Amino acid sequence: MPLHLSPRIGPELRSALAETVLLAQLSDALGSPLGVVLPQQLTGNVVAFRSVFSAHRLSGQIYYAHKANRSNALVRELAATDAGIDVASLAELQHALGAGFVPQRIVATGPKNQEFLWLAARTGVIVSADSVAELAALAALVRDRSLPRVRVMARLSGFTSAGVQLNSRRSRFGVSVAAASEVLDVIEKHADALDLVGVAFHLDTIGLPEKVVALEGCLGVLDECRRRGLRPWSVDIGGGFGVDYLADGAQWEQYTSALTEAVLGRRAPLTWNGHGYGLRAENGHVRGSLNLYPAHRPISGPAYLDRLLRTTAPEQRRPLGTLLLDNMYDLHVEPGRALLDQCGLVLASVLEVREDANGDTIVRLDCNARDVSLEEHGVLMDPVVVHRTTPAGPGPAGAYLFGNLCLEADLITRRKVFLPSLPRIGDLLAFVNTAGYLMDFSATQALRQPIGRKVALYRDDGAWRWCLDEQYWPVHHPVEAP
Amino acid sequence: MRFETMTEAIGNTPLVRIDPAVHGLRNIDLYAKMELLNPFGSLKDRAAWNMARPLLTQAVERGDTVVELSSGNTAKALAVIAGMHGLTFKSVTNRMKVAEIKDLLLLLGAEIDELPGQAECLDPTDTDDPLTRMYHRLAGSGGGYLHTDQYFNELNVDAHLNGTGPEIVKDLDGRAPDYFIACIGTAGSSTGVAAALRQHNPDVRVVGLVAHKSDFIPGIRTIDEVHEVGLFDPDVYDTVETITADDAIDGLLTLVRRCGTLAGPTGGGAYQGAVRHLRAVDAQLAERRSAVFIVCDRVESYLSYLRERRPELFGRAPRRNSLRTVTDAEVGQAATVDVAEAQRWITERRGLVVDLRSPFAYQALHIDGSINIVDELFAELLHGGLPFGRRQPVLLVCPVGEKSARYAALLTRMGHPDVRSLDGGIIAWRDAGAELVRD
Ligand SMILES: Cc1ncc(COP(=O)(O)O)c(C=O)c1O
Ligand SMILES: Cc1ncc(COP(=O)(O)O)c(C=O)c1O
Repeated sequence: MPLHLSPRIGPELRSALAETVLLAQLSDALGSPLGVVLPQQLTGNVVAFRSVFSAHRLSGQIYYAHKANRSNALVRELAATDAGIDVASLAELQHALGAGFVPQRIVATGPKNQEFLWLAARTGVIVSADSVAELAALAALVRDRSLPRVRVMARLSGFTSAGVQLNSRRSRFGVSVAAASEVLDVIEKHADALDLVGVAFHLDTIGLPEKVVALEGCLGVLDECRRRGLRPWSVDIGGGFGVDYLADGAQWEQYTSALTEAVLGRRAPLTWNGHGYGLRAENGHVRGSLNLYPAHRPISGPAYLDRLLRTTAPEQRRPLGTLLLDNMYDLHVEPGRALLDQCGLVLASVLEVREDANGDTIVRLDCNARDVSLEEHGVLMDPVVVHRTTPAGPGPAGAYLFGNLCLEADLITRRKVFLPSLPRIGDLLAFVNTAGYLMDFSATQALRQPIGRKVALYRDDGAWRWCLDEQYWPVHHPVEAP
Repeated sequence: MRFETMTEAIGNTPLVRIDPAVHGLRNIDLYAKMELLNPFGSLKDRAAWNMARPLLTQAVERGDTVVELSSGNTAKALAVIAGMHGLTFKSVTNRMKVAEIKDLLLLLGAEIDELPGQAECLDPTDTDDPLTRMYHRLAGSGGGYLHTDQYFNELNVDAHLNGTGPEIVKDLDGRAPDYFIACIGTAGSSTGVAAALRQHNPDVRVVGLVAHKSDFIPGIRTIDEVHEVGLFDPDVYDTVETITADDAIDGLLTLVRRCGTLAGPTGGGAYQGAVRHLRAVDAQLAERRSAVFIVCDRVESYLSYLRERRPELFGRAPRRNSLRTVTDAEVGQAATVDVAEAQRWITERRGLVVDLRSPFAYQALHIDGSINIVDELFAELLHGGLPFGRRQPVLLVCPVGEKSARYAALLTRMGHPDVRSLDGGIIAWRDAGAELVRD
């Protein structure tokens, strides 16, 4: 039985995929791989997050985590909404400013060098500081260069819970809550340079309980601020809301069960060289843990945020959303992956279809595993075949997808994917819903292979139109003066 | 029965026939092995005691901490046993999902270590399962632990091979049942009992039950997870079948409501799984057969689990003066005041200002002169009637003016003539630059 992992495809993405002639022309003209972004999808995604805010009566900003995609079009389209942007490098900050974000809508996060700090302070964006040293350096910069007072957030980590000891993975980032008073000392000491507007965290986990503890921990630190007479009014809870990649949860369950059986040798291997995605067999038992993104995530994105806000804080025993509101705090979020749900796809052309000595079908693509980084990010999801004419053979066809690098490990999928029908040379595989991290986050020019180009696909007067990503602006035809 | 210590009361549980009128099987006598009657509440008392006992003397001498990867009954039993011997117990878990069990463990003096959730951004180097992580931790700590290791420890199986199994045979007058049905957690009980029964009758059919993959049934594993269990050997079972959380709860309800058996979800699941499996067999039978299933533990620890999945079971009669009965039309008619008017009202000390926010938020910053009754408490008070006189003018304050308007409407309906709500709430108050104080 073919083990499909069919992607969840919304109506717009489905309609774009139906433009097979256009997609083939684009691929012919611009090469393979080709990133296709659908900037207009962002608007609905922002609205979905906003509606969770309004359901909880909360104010605050949705900062798109720019790192999830390098696209211009996505950032420019977003500038046309009421969302903000989270920039994590000097170039991302320049990009956001140039795309039309005013500094009030920008927050600078992550590790920063002197230039990044200067431009952030000079333009007046919020600086989410990672450490006491960063705050001190920022204060010195402000004073030294006579810059205006900078709005700062303090990023915290190392939250602890009472009763049950909830362990979190150690983080590189943020000041331990236990040392939060040192942050406040520095802010008070440099009150002329630093204006504390809130506290922040970002936890790299899908675990809600850890975020619950972190959010309540932030409330505690904000309380301490109020005791000291500081008046920060916001909490930034970072990103990590997740995406539901698969259309059918049952397929995910079947697949992961089958993988377990394959690892135990109870069925034919499903993967190249018996790769176990983190599982291994020892004396007939499975060891390790499934090291995959939970591709079937029914509670993800805005629904995950809603779930978090509805959760009762363990110590104050009121829902977190209610507590934020009680305290008049704004809530900020920094979704990357979740905001790019359904916002793009990667097209790769088929270079070769063959059967190898073992009887496995091999489909070699003109792209590499860094261009469609499903494997690196552990997202298992089938591509869609875009035929130019007719299928080469009836489906479903189980195949391994090889990349274009002269490198054993360059497999687009280390598992056998079951394509609905067998492609011919020149046909395209569309890796859908890959805009968040899976499109260009890891792309490199190894072996001087080109990094894929990017186009924006958009609707104007109902029809699909396209332009190069860097040509896209959210105005599609000249407005005539009345 | 007179004992020196509670551990002597472990085991020798009754085997009780389930009324055929309840299960409806015509040719099969169905018996429940009542493991819920063990002194610390479950089947796992046997394994915990059997695994810990040989190591206790040394552990007491060294002052070791007892540790186990458990989110429920084994942890409970070990916590009690550790306590009886003056030792501390630490439970490591990534799946403690039932609030009562967590609280009970804390009450028993256990420490609970919860492992982190999966990373949102994949870390390809992180492929350790909870058990391996725990082994690393124990190895890194340089001793001081008594690790019972229930998923790999043969003494877990032995507890049932020498206890539970032979007891069943004895109670069936020296004969093994034709069918044995049990849920699989560590596989200790099913493996041990199956071996004991097969010594008497190699043809006993053994049915193992695991949870349906997308379901959570506290205490047992899903079809994939079961392969991680060291004691699990597929050859022990003639068949491994899945049960859903719904099955487990249906069975639990039958046992608690009709069979005088206050079983937890896995007892219910075992009953339901047994009847489902046996019903198919029953129709073809010409002679009588017997079957035994295990009731592992008690229902009381799972009330929140049940409430979450079957809220209707806990339905109560609606209470009077409930906020939920207030209509939008009533809210529309409730009196509101804007910030400027509220400021005047307050300076002139015209009445009582009630802040409905949480105590923490109130203490951090509030309107001078207001009192704090958090909305939940206020709602509770109103079920009993007006908590202040009708001649006492009142201004209600909440975050954005929505809840306060609803309460104002409710108070009006309850006959209070002089109640109003702060329009836009304390957020509008703050945004207007009005004063907020803290003590
Ligand atoms: C500080 C910060 N905010 C937001 C994000 C975005 O996370 P996600 O794309 O999972 O929503 C990240 C991701 O690394 C981050 O480091
Ligand atoms: C509630 C419950 N039912 C059933 C079982 C299964 O028992 P065993 O671990 O012997 O397979 C357990 C074990 O932890 C349990 O806690």
